[in-house]
Amino acid sequence: MEKILTKKSFSKWVKKLESYKIYAPVKNDDLWNYEIIDIPESIQPDYPNTVLSPKKIIFPQREIFLEFKASNEEGLEVKEILPEERPAIIFGVRPCDARALTLTDNVFKGDFEDPYYWKRRNQTILIGLTCNIPPSFDCFCLSVGGSPHSKDGLDILMTDLEDKYYIESLTKKGNQLINLAKDCFEEPKVMDKKDLEKIQANSEIQIKRQIKDIKKIPKKLKGMFDTPFWDKESLSCIQCGICTYLCPTCHCFDINDEVASSAPLKGKRVRTWDNCQFPDFTMHSSGHNPRPDKASRLRQRILHKFQYFVELYENFQCVGCGRCISKCPVGIDIIEVLDKVRDYGL
Amino acid sequence: MDYNVYIPKLAKIIEIKEEVGGSRPIKSFRTHFINKNDFSHRCGQSAMISVLGKGESMISISSSPLVKDYLQFSILKMGRVTTALHEMQVGNVIGIRGPYGNGFPIEEWKGKNLVFIGGGIGLAPIWSVLNTALGKREDYGDLILIYGARTSKDLVFNDELKELKKKITVFLSVDVEEEGWKEFVGFVPQNVTDKKPSPKNSITVTCGPPIMIKFVIKALKDLGFEDEQIYTTVENKMKCGIGKCGRCNIGKHYVCKDGPVYSWAQLKNLPQEY
Ligand SMILES: Cc1cc2nc3c(=O)[nH]c(=O)nc-3n(C[C@H](O)[C@H](O)[C@H](O)COP(=O)(O)OP(=O)(O)OC[C@H]3O[C@@H](n4cnc5c(N)ncnc54)[C@H](O)[C@@H]3O)c2cc1C
Ligand code: SF4
Ligand code: FES
Repeated sequence: MEKILTKKSFSKWVKKLESYKIYAPVKNDDLWNYEIIDIPESIQPDYPNTVLSPKKIIFPQREIFLEFKASNEEGLEVKEILPEERPAIIFGVRPCDARALTLTDNVFKGDFEDPYYWKRRNQTILIGLTCNIPPSFDCFCLSVGGSPHSKDGLDILMTDLEDKYYIESLTKKGNQLINLAKDCFEEPKVMDKKDLEKIQANSEIQIKRQIKDIKKIPKKLKGMFDTPFWDKESLSCIQCGICTYLCPTCHCFDINDEVASSAPLKGKRVRTWDNCQFPDFTMHSSGHNPRPDKASRLRQRILHKFQYFVELYENFQCVGCGRCISKCPVGIDIIEVLDKVRDYGL
Repeated sequence: MDYNVYIPKLAKIIEIKEEVGGSRPIKSFRTHFINKNDFSHRCGQSAMISVLGKGESMISISSSPLVKDYLQFSILKMGRVTTALHEMQVGNVIGIRGPYGNGFPIEEWKGKNLVFIGGGIGLAPIWSVLNTALGKREDYGDLILIYGARTSKDLVFNDELKELKKKITVFLSVDVEEEGWKEFVGFVPQNVTDKKPSPKNSITVTCGPPIMIKFVIKALKDLGFEDEQIYTTVENKMKCGIGKCGRCNIGKHYVCKDGPVYSWAQLKNLPQEY
């Protein structure tokens, strides 16, 4: 379904969506992030990229799995804690970040479905915004199978045409939101469609960074496991883990028990994000560590994204958002690393 | 989605046996689920054992699937979770989720001789296959166990080993000379070379510390075993057990889900990340 929504009608529409929990990018101390919005008028879909992607809403940094406590009967009681039942809408999702969720979907489905992820995923509607101009200098979505107007994973894609939005509804969920406030929308005119095409074509030209011949990389990496390449590339890494925490496609986690009282026993089991750049991530209790240095951990990050994931799911585990590049404190640049991989003489 | 993969089923400890004392103690625990459920495992699979308040650890199920009365786990005391397990008493409640992993392809091994090679706590995963093969004795050829530990006090399942000797060939070893020890002195790989099990129509299953596995495989190759006849298990740090938390991988393989059992033909082609 395709519609036109004037900027004046935008807040009228959002008001009609009151029964949903609504997230939108909010600026706080110079940083943009997705927050729950109370007053619908305050949604402002024009923003540079958020520090954290909407991954944090579907797969939060910390979440409770279960609660446990001592009980008289069986000695112990365990209670599953699933996310609350309230449909949510995320406004202003960048197309790369929406694509990222289609990649993490692969991991959380399969033989062992992750009920926490899917509860949130299934009740969240993603409303994207075409990046008329790239939200970061380091965007390279075009190289990894995305685009600044990609529809993958979105329910609705909005494109800013100055005084109005071009609305492309892509799923049933998207159509439902539009049908809730039919009178807010108009039919697109031939001119609108032309403007849309112009803006979307132009949005691609604006993306300045790219990885040439990226298709060669998975095969190339296969032969590079045991090379000194990784020592050199990881030399400046300070193991802060920012690259992976901020990555919209990284899904590694830890599970730990938090004890509120030990007698009588009472506490929670929680899942938190974890990070392949940390030594503890793979270290056995014996002290043995299969990835004992920065080189093997950088290698894991690159090989997971550009070889293993491709072998498993026929997609790069990267959407080109550029966060790991702009935020790395020592300037490790995944595009440069991959350029060197491609040109590495074996 | 009818069940939550992360919620452990509660089980009561019904029996505890001290296998090994000293500074690296091992205890075996027999457990009973509190509520009836459809838990059923294959040889070589593991389960995530919860001590609520401490966390979870992946532990091989050392009892055979043929045993229906209990699940057995044999556990070396290491850190947080395993120490808490060692402090538990009969009647205490733990959590169990699983079973996880591929297990041994024992159906494919019918009609063959099985050579089991273990070191230390590595006998735990072997115990499950060995006892299954014993339970279906007519399905298999000769059964041989080559097992060793640092000292005779570090051998697990000591009482059962005595019984086992009456049924199959058992070669034991200790790493260093000790008074009264009449069997082999030296490391497990050396004992393998010494006893020369025949590759003819045989499958070998090796479990133990990584360094032992490495040298056992070398010894087996020297004896003429093909890569496809050599099976082993890989241990990597685990949290989820279901291929999602991302830490146990070797290349694109998640050891928790796709392993821990590999033939040497498979393993030798994977990166050395275990
Ligand atoms: C497939 C498999 C089967 C195993 N079978 C047995 C067995 O039968 N008997 C036995 O004694 N041990 C077994 N282990 C090793 C056992 O899982 C670890 O010794 C145990 O998790 C250590 O936990 P901890 O809390 O005591 O130590 P800590 O050092 O406090 O570890 C913290 C957490 O890290 C993880 N972890 C640390 N080391 C390991 C490790 N080596 N392997 C997996 N996870 C780890 C666990 O989640 C653990 O709870 C097995 C490991 C694997 C992978
Ligand atoms: S952000 Fe940079 S310094 Fe930090 S772990 Fe990643 S590569 Fe290393
Ligand atoms: S233990 Fe989590 S992926 Fe294997």
